[in-house]
Amino acid sequence: MVLSNLLQNIIGGVSVGATYGLIGLGVVFLWQSIERINFANISSAMIAAYLFYTFYAQLHLPFFISLVASIAIIAVYGLLLRYLLFEPINHHGGGELEFVVATVMLSTFWLSAIKAFYGGVPRPFPPVFGEATSFVRIGSVSIPFVYFSVFFVVLVLICALYLLLWKTMIGKMLRATAQNKETASLMGINVNMTTSLAFMLATTIVGIGGILLAPTYFVSLDLGAGPIGVKGFASAIMGGMINPFGTIVGGITIGLVENFSALFISSVYKDVISFVILVVVIIWKPRGIFNWTTKED
Amino acid sequence: MSTCNRILKPGDYIQKEVFVARFCRKAFVGLVILALLGGSISIWGCGKTGSSTPGSSTPIKIVLSAPFTGTGSALGEWCEKGARLAVDEINASGGVKGASFDLITYDDASDASTAATIIRRAISSDKAVAIFGPNMSGAVLGVNTLAQQAKVPMLVGATATSLRYDKTKNDYLFRIKTDDGVKGAELVKYVVEVLKAKKPGIIVGSDSYCTSGLADLKQDFDTYGIKIVDIENMKEGDKDVTAQVTKLKKAGIDVLIGMTHEPEGAVVMLKVRELKLTVPCIGESAWGVPMFTDLAGDAAIGVISLQVLNLADPDPRVQKFVDAYTAKWGTEPSDPANCYYDGVYLLKKAIEMAGSTDGVKIDEALKTVEYTGVQGLMKCDALHNFTNTCYISQFNGKTWDILSKIP
Repeated sequence: MVLSNLLQNIIGGVSVGATYGLIGLGVVFLWQSIERINFANISSAMIAAYLFYTFYAQLHLPFFISLVASIAIIAVYGLLLRYLLFEPINHHGGGELEFVVATVMLSTFWLSAIKAFYGGVPRPFPPVFGEATSFVRIGSVSIPFVYFSVFFVVLVLICALYLLLWKTMIGKMLRATAQNKETASLMGINVNMTTSLAFMLATTIVGIGGILLAPTYFVSLDLGAGPIGVKGFASAIMGGMINPFGTIVGGITIGLVENFSALFISSVYKDVISFVILVVVIIWKPRGIFNWTTKED
Repeated sequence: MSTCNRILKPGDYIQKEVFVARFCRKAFVGLVILALLGGSISIWGCGKTGSSTPGSSTPIKIVLSAPFTGTGSALGEWCEKGARLAVDEINASGGVKGASFDLITYDDASDASTAATIIRRAISSDKAVAIFGPNMSGAVLGVNTLAQQAKVPMLVGATATSLRYDKTKNDYLFRIKTDDGVKGAELVKYVVEVLKAKKPGIIVGSDSYCTSGLADLKQDFDTYGIKIVDIENMKEGDKDVTAQVTKLKKAGIDVLIGMTHEPEGAVVMLKVRELKLTVPCIGESAWGVPMFTDLAGDAAIGVISLQVLNLADPDPRVQKFVDAYTAKWGTEPSDPANCYYDGVYLLKKAIEMAGSTDGVKIDEALKTVEYTGVQGLMKCDALHNFTNTCYISQFNGKTWDILSKIP
């Protein structure tokens, strides 16, 4: 196998995998905050991509305004998710199962709503991250300029998350709440505020992931359905549902496994092989490959 | 005694008042829910009706089952607009023996079970005299026997060879768009005789349209004694085909044939340009439509494709259709709008020939009627196909240049 082919597939796998990791981060943030799985997590990606498309391509607003407006709306959506779904379920005595059922239905609702508004036809994403046919050639390896842009944005986002979580008081409060809500409350941390923040962060990060995925996935219902949401969950699980950076690495791992399965084994069984490997990893390291603690710890 | 000191007891008048208020509130909520339920059932049950100019007789109901969502979602709008243009033209010129067509449209979501529900409704509730669609081969395979059992003619734009009469033995199933077998044979003929390719590679999707088309291509290449060097698979919705295109390039192919739907075709071409696979690329008819060129952008330049409608065709019937469609809908038509447009006119002629809207008589008439439409002369052959017209065209960045027109 020529080195350039390997490098090409590594680059493709890393770029797509990093965005899977972003989707997984939405799962992790919410799990850490309320210990619930949001099965409508991927809907945030689809909504954000369609919002951006509406503002930029249809209403012809400037790029920055379109981006900020889309992210702001998706952050508010996170807050609404808390107060219109999670809190009422809690208030009426509902638990994990009820939240799962509600979010599954919410996911279906968003798919239907987007279909009704925009139709089911995929649309090309505006070339804000570079033309789809412009490439950077390094020797015999060519990398779409879009991949560079997307990966750069993911890196900036990860750095911003690191700074937020580890270098700011709000980040400390978020981590403390995630560790132990009761103790954090006793320490004077406003748990209500950090919970709201977690919801908003979860949907915002996934929304940004959706906008970054749209050049590859097109502005389509595929962003809100199909295997991409599952791969986001898989990234979160591989990261142990604890470490955000583990989630990103988990996503990259999945992207690479997919590409190499298709390259070395068969493109027919690409998804089968990826998920078999995932199941093996979960059985071997159920707490995530980056979590070395055991159940007794 | 002040109000705040009053203590409620059983039988107290205030407790009774509260009970009545709660009962009324619940009853009101219940009535609202019932009203909403009834409203949504009636809305769901309606479908979209395009009512024609009222004729002197009872309107003739025809149902269109088309994909507005799902895999074939790019096509539903074209199907409906083509059919509705024909319906409106026919009704405006007096209808069919004085009776107007009433076209009812449903979204089958490219899904066989949804299509089955629609077909049953069309037969039992709408009492349609004919059914257009489904348009996706997988859906037609699942429902065509329903039309046969009910003796209602079904005219479809689905093109898989598994829908030919010799396979289905369905007297009530007809095709109004060129069969994949015909298109595939022309594609292979072009690849071998014009492009002089000897090492073809194919990238194929996973649904029945794609896999059935692949089987036809294999047979056609066999007749030329040419071995397909590499076949790579992708699933509908796949967005990264780096590995597949890498393997095709490594196999040393001298032509790439695409047997996929529109978005997958765009994904393939973007990767082909990225990996500098500089061989001619030729696609089945899904590559020759606006959705493919919109999504692929500049990567589509130079792509060759089979088409069943080319807007640059100077044939007066084609230009008349293009002008009428553009004037009515504000956009240019695309395949399969022309097929359903022709199909409605074909049905009109069959009803006139039969002198009746009885399904059995319309079916007999369809087997012998001749109609010259946008797709040229349409006549039912032994395989229940009405047309074998197609083009081989090349995308120049804005339009498709016709390389050849068959027949």
